[in-house]
Amino acid sequence: MEESNNGFHISFFKPTTKQAKSNRNMVLWLVSIWAVAIFGFQLALYVLQKPTPEATLALFEENWDHVKTNSANNEQLKDFSYAALSVLGKIFIRPEHKAALDKGLTIAVLQLSDSTQSAIVSDKIRNFENLASSITDITDENYKLAKADLCETVSPILGLDKSDPRNIVLPLELVSLTDAALSKEDIALIEEAMPLYLTHNQSILTDTKFLGFPFHYFYTAVFLLILFVGICWLYCVRTDRINAKLNIAD
Amino acid sequence: MKKIFIPLALLTLPVVTRAATAVTALEGRLQVGPAIILITILTLFVLVGILFRAKDTNDYYAAGRGISRVGSGMAIASNWMSAASFLGMAALMYGSGYHGLAYVVGWTGGYVLLLILMAGQIRKYGKYTAADFIGDRYYSQGMRAVGAIIAILISISYCVGQFGGIGLMFKWILGIDYVWAVLIGGAVVLAYTLISGMLGVTKNMQIQYVIIIVSFLIPLFILTAKFDYFWLLPQIGYGSVVSDIVSGIPLAETNQLMNSFGHAYAIVPAPEYAMPWDPSTGQTFFQWIAIAFSLMVGTAGLPHVIQRFYVVPKARDARWSVVWGLFFICILYWSAPAYAAFGRILSANPEVGKLAKDAIVVYTAQLGSVHPLIVGLLAAGGVSAAFSTVSGLLVAGSSAFAHDLYVKVINPKAPPKKQLLYARLATVLMAIIVALIALLDLALIGQLVAVAFSLAGCTIFPLFLLGIWWSGSNRSGAIAGLIAGGTVSAVAMTYFIAGKQGITLPAHEFISYWLEAWYFAWIGAPLAIIANIVVSKLTKKTPVEIRKFLIENVHA
Repeated sequence: MEESNNGFHISFFKPTTKQAKSNRNMVLWLVSIWAVAIFGFQLALYVLQKPTPEATLALFEENWDHVKTNSANNEQLKDFSYAALSVLGKIFIRPEHKAALDKGLTIAVLQLSDSTQSAIVSDKIRNFENLASSITDITDENYKLAKADLCETVSPILGLDKSDPRNIVLPLELVSLTDAALSKEDIALIEEAMPLYLTHNQSILTDTKFLGFPFHYFYTAVFLLILFVGICWLYCVRTDRINAKLNIAD
Repeated sequence: MKKIFIPLALLTLPVVTRAATAVTALEGRLQVGPAIILITILTLFVLVGILFRAKDTNDYYAAGRGISRVGSGMAIASNWMSAASFLGMAALMYGSGYHGLAYVVGWTGGYVLLLILMAGQIRKYGKYTAADFIGDRYYSQGMRAVGAIIAILISISYCVGQFGGIGLMFKWILGIDYVWAVLIGGAVVLAYTLISGMLGVTKNMQIQYVIIIVSFLIPLFILTAKFDYFWLLPQIGYGSVVSDIVSGIPLAETNQLMNSFGHAYAIVPAPEYAMPWDPSTGQTFFQWIAIAFSLMVGTAGLPHVIQRFYVVPKARDARWSVVWGLFFICILYWSAPAYAAFGRILSANPEVGKLAKDAIVVYTAQLGSVHPLIVGLLAAGGVSAAFSTVSGLLVAGSSAFAHDLYVKVINPKAPPKKQLLYARLATVLMAIIVALIALLDLALIGQLVAVAFSLAGCTIFPLFLLGIWWSGSNRSGAIAGLIAGGTVSAVAMTYFIAGKQGITLPAHEFISYWLEAWYFAWIGAPLAIIANIVVSKLTKKTPVEIRKFLIENVHA
C-alpha cells in the first residue's frame, strides 16, 4: 500500500493503490445496481400507480344515494348488497366498518324480501345467531344445517350465483336488527369503508402476469433475492480475481 | 371513541364467538407427536452442544476459527433465520400483503452491503466483538463500553421477538398458556446456550439449518401439490396463489378442495393482498422504503451477525461465507410468502376467526390438512429457528458484557475462568430480562426484531462503515455520530413505549409516523454518518498508529 501525501490516509473515494481503485469501482457499480434495483423499481411502481376501484365500487357509488335514503329499487339494493359482501369477504376489515356493513346488508336483504319472506329471514337470522353463540365447535351439524339453510334462503333473494364466493360470507354477516334504518354513524362508516377497501394502487407493473405472479410481486419477492445472491457472488469472484492478479494474499 | 366501540363490539359478538371456536380447534391441547419431535430435536441440540462445548474463552467467543465456508454460511443462515424469518415474515405478509415484502427485501438486501462494504475487512481487523472493534478503532475505552452496552441492548431487543416466537410454538405444542410457554421455552434455550457456548452453537447451527429448512419446505411441497399448483418449485408455484387471491376463486372452481374445517377453497377477490401500499392496509410508500432501508443498514450493523465473520479462518472465507449464507437464507425467504398466500385463502372464511398472525405458518399447514406430524416438524423447525438465533444473540450479548465491559474496561487482569463465569452470568441475566419483556407481547415478532435493526443501523453501522473506509473518522466524530444516532433512537423508542402505555406525547402522531420503532434508522443512520464526518473534519486527526494499522492490516 502506498503512502498518500497526508500520511497513512484511507478514503474509499480517494484510493491510492491499484487494488483499492478496482475495489472502489466495483463497489460503486454493485451498490448502484443494488440501489436502482430496489428503490428504483419501487419508485417506478409508485409513479405509475393509479388508484383503481374494484368493479363493485362503481355499483356502490351508483346506488348508494338511493340506498341510504330508503328510495332504492330492488336492483339497486342488490347491487349495494354485492358491494357490501365484497368488502365483508375481506379478511382484515375494521370492526366498526364490519358492523355498519353487516347492518346495511341485512336491511337491504329485508327490504328485498316481501313481508312473509322478511319474517322468515329475520327468524332464521335470530335462530342462527343463537345457535352460533351456543356451540363449541363449528363443525356442529345443527349449526352447519342452519347456516346452509340461511344461505339458501337469502342467496336467491339477492340473486347471487351459486358459485359466487360471496355466498361463503353471506350467512355469517346477517345480523338481528334493533332498528330498520341506518344511523348517521352507519352511513358515514359505510361511505368511509367502501372506497378504502375497494380501491387499489394498480399499474401495468401490477396487472402484467409473469410465471403466474403479478409482475411486481415476482420482481420483489423472487427476482430481487436472486439479484442479491448474484451481486454477492460476482463481488467475491471479482475480488478473488483482482487479488490473484495483483498477487495479494489474504 | 370507547362509547362507540362498546356497542359495536357487542354487535359483532356472535361472529367473535363463532370465530373463537374455530381457532380453539387449531390449538389448546397437547400435541403429542409434535411434542415428541420437539423433544427429540432439542435433545439432539444439547448432545451436539455437549460434544462440542466451549473449553476456553477462545472457543466460547469464536469457535476456534475452524469452521469451513459452507459450514459458516449455514451457521450464518441458521443464526439469521430466526423466529422473525420462520414465523414473523409470513405473519407480516399475511396481515399487510405487499407491505410485508419490505421485510423480505430489507433482511436479504442488507447482506449485499455487509459483504461488499465490511465482511472481509472486519475479519482482517481481527477482533472478537463489535465493541472490541469500536474501542480499538476509536482508541477509547469509553467508546468500547458504549459499544458493549449498545450490543447488549440490541441483543435484548432482538431476543424479545425470538422469545415471543418460542412462546407461541411451545403454546401450540404443549397446549399451555402463553406465559408458561415463554417461561419454559426461555429456560430451555438458556440451558442449551449455557451448556454449549459458541463452538457447540456453531456446530449446532449447521444441524439447525438443515432442520429449519427441511421442516419449512416439506409442508410447502405438500400444500402446493394438494391445492393443485406447480409443486416442483413451490417458490414459483405460489405465484398463481397470489393471482388467485387478487382475482378471487369462485365456488365452482374449487374442485372440492377445502380446508380442515370443510370450508371450500374459495375467496372473494382481494387485490389488497398483492397491490403495493394498499390504502386498506394503512401502509404507505414511504414506510415501505423506510423499512427496507432500515433493515438493510441494520443488517450490516448487527453485532451477532458481524461476529460470525470472526469465526472463519481468512477474509476470503468471510466473503464467501456471506454468499453461501445469503443463498441459504434466500431459500427460506423465497418460501415464506407462499405460506402467507395459502394462509390467506385457507383462512378466508370468517368462521376460521382471528388467527394469531405470528403462528400463521403453522396454522396454514393445519388448515391445509397437512399430516399432524409434519405440522409438528414445522413447529419444531420454528423453535429451532428461534433457538439458533437466541443462542447467537445471548453469546454476543454476554461477550459484550464479559469481554468488552468486564475484562477490557473493569478488570483487565481477570483470569479466563472468571471471564467465562461472567459471560455465563450475563447470559442468565439477559435471558431473564428478555423473558419479562416478551411476556408484555408488545408487537408482532417481525416488528420487534426490526427495532433491533434500526438501533444497530443508527449506532453500530455508521461506526463500522466509516471506521473501515475512512481513516479520517476519529473519536470525536464517532462520539458525535453516536449522539446523533442515539438521540433519534431514544426519541423513537420513547414515543413507541409511551404509545404502548397509552400516553400521548407532543406531536405524537407525527413522530410515530416518521420515526416508527421499526424504521427510524432511515434518518438516524444518515444523520449519524453526517455528524461523524463533520465533527471528525473539525477535530484532531486519527492517531497515526490507527491509520497505519488500517492501511497495513485491514486494507493490505
